[in-house]
Amino acid sequence: MKKQILMAAVAALMAAQPVSGWADDVKVGALMGITGPLANFIPPILNAAKLAEADVNAGGGILGGNNFVLVVADGQAAAQPSVDAASKLVNLENVAAVMGGLSSGATIAAANAVTIPNKVLQVSPTATSPALTDIEDDDHVYRIVPSDNYQGEVLANIVLDEGLNKVAVAYVNNDYGVGIANTFKTAFEAKGGTITAFEKHEDKKNSYRGELATLASSGADALVVIAYAAGSGAKIVKQSLENGFFDRFVGTDGLRDDILIEQVGADALATSFFSSPTSPAENALSAALRKRFDETYGEGSDKPFVDQTYDATMLIALAIEKAGSTDRAAVKNALREVANAPGEVVGPGEWAKAVKLIAEGKDINYEGASGGHEFDENGDVAGFIGKFVVDGDSYKQIAIFE
Amino acid sequence: MELPGFVFYFITFFTMGGIYAILCLALNMQWGFGGLFNAGIAGFYAIGAYTGAILTAAGSDDHVGGFGLPILIGLVCAGIASGIVGWMIARICVRLKADYLAMASIGIAEIIRLAIVNEEWLTNGSLGISRIPRPLESVFSGRQSEVFFVVFVWIVVAVTFLVARRLQVSPWGRVMRAIRDNDAAAASVGKDVQRFRTETFVVGAIFMGVAGALSAHYFKFFSPDATEPLLITFLAWVMLIAGGSGNNIGAVAGALVIWAIWSLTEVVTQQLPPDWATRSSYIRMLLVGLLLQFVLQRFRSGLFPEKSPKLRVSDDR
Repeated sequence: MKKQILMAAVAALMAAQPVSGWADDVKVGALMGITGPLANFIPPILNAAKLAEADVNAGGGILGGNNFVLVVADGQAAAQPSVDAASKLVNLENVAAVMGGLSSGATIAAANAVTIPNKVLQVSPTATSPALTDIEDDDHVYRIVPSDNYQGEVLANIVLDEGLNKVAVAYVNNDYGVGIANTFKTAFEAKGGTITAFEKHEDKKNSYRGELATLASSGADALVVIAYAAGSGAKIVKQSLENGFFDRFVGTDGLRDDILIEQVGADALATSFFSSPTSPAENALSAALRKRFDETYGEGSDKPFVDQTYDATMLIALAIEKAGSTDRAAVKNALREVANAPGEVVGPGEWAKAVKLIAEGKDINYEGASGGHEFDENGDVAGFIGKFVVDGDSYKQIAIFE
Repeated sequence: MELPGFVFYFITFFTMGGIYAILCLALNMQWGFGGLFNAGIAGFYAIGAYTGAILTAAGSDDHVGGFGLPILIGLVCAGIASGIVGWMIARICVRLKADYLAMASIGIAEIIRLAIVNEEWLTNGSLGISRIPRPLESVFSGRQSEVFFVVFVWIVVAVTFLVARRLQVSPWGRVMRAIRDNDAAAASVGKDVQRFRTETFVVGAIFMGVAGALSAHYFKFFSPDATEPLLITFLAWVMLIAGGSGNNIGAVAGALVIWAIWSLTEVVTQQLPPDWATRSSYIRMLLVGLLLQFVLQRFRSGLFPEKSPKLRVSDDR
């Protein structure tokens, strides 16, 4: 039996070999958590990556007309399978670079175990953990969303601008909640605000009344909720309103979810506001991108991390074009050149123009749908944080902070 | 000399496979030798991983650490810490019958997980511990470090295997099997059933902790996400049952075969059209399930069924 399995495995591998041997395809890996805890987010994210792939091929292909191919692997958004999936991309599919790692734990594990030792560029569209900033990556690992630390700091400014000096904080006990809450607390107190109570909670409980009673008794003007609406956030807001603990809320992107409005109603949220990573003010190119996305896939251009995934894929493609080959070291070195200023600005959907500029030997600077993507020395970007309020049954962005 | 890529795929394959082999051998000590149904493997794995990580990682302002101890000492301490916790649990729980022990151990694994997520001063909570070193990083870099690490992991597998083998053929192993198959009979000939069960539980827990520490060194980062019971407890059980519980070679073979099924099915499903990317991942999960069913149905007692070691004394009876 073991023999049979081994033979099947070998046969599968041999079947895989000729595919990776095709010379004309330029392959990039997409390390996605298709099954697993992030499965809900996946369809639009994958579509965004495919749209970028299609844009490159429609714009004349890559490296002199070759096919740009995205190879998708399922890392299940967990460390062990992500390492395995990344290894298949890097070693079997022989990709030039890897786009992905969705959750931070999976991204860091795959980077440390596979992409860094194999000297492959990795760009995550979604990993927000502060831990990604200081891994020893020899300049191989990048991300194009701001670290959670960044949103915490901006949120502190937004709350103080609103005239709220005394707030209580309820945050979910995972890397997302803890990351934002800690930086928010530090920044808020440094700027003269007072945190009257600071309580973490476990996700997916039925009642948060105990925690809320403690928070309410501290005498805060508003409750800052750093949690996912579907997990604990909506329940916290609802139970606060029902029991009269709080009537004003400040939320982060996790809470900015239509589920919240469905559960508590727009009226109850009239004075509340939300922060969320956002894209810079819409320009013609990003508007065209979103329109194209909705036309191709029906809907979903407003879903989380669609812009970021498109940009991550596009940046990798540009880096390969700039490098002039699929040599991994050259691709890695080219990323900053195509992403960072100075250079002639190109945007989403302008692949043909970018190729022409590169061919002319000009420096380019990709300004994507989700931001300008100027990488700092850690491979992090500053980002844009939007301030949102409830408008009918959805949310409206009223300000952008950089 | 540049080795082709698929060699490095097999290096990551055998690194992960080796870590699972250690888990599987450890589970075999508890279940295969002793009949103890431990459903909290992820808990011991987590204790080992965090002990190794805290003792060897570079310093951080966020949590206890910065001891910078050598990795071997970290591994030993990971085993000891996990063993001590295993001993405490065994003192309370080994008297429970198999299914009750399973329930208790699930609960304990959850307690351990919550403690890790909440004791931020110690573990940095859900943000995880970063900058965990790998052995001899200053000597081997890049792909060399991968090659060295897989050798390192398999040395630990070999040590675990030798310990397991030695325990199995020893008089202690015979008593364990007697207790497993009929504890009343073993007690009636004067064997201290509780003590033997506690011992086997502790020995198994030690090696589960070592496997955890090796993963932490491999990922160089460890957060509570990586202790997902589906990927640790469930997979280790499937591996042991498929390989053959009670047989050490079976434990190692089961780990590799099941990890191969888990990993290589994706190579097959990747051949499907790209438009199927989402679907093919689920088809792969289906395929994994089918293959597991096939192995478990076709080989009821595992790929390598248990063989009782021969007694050396022929006139024993």
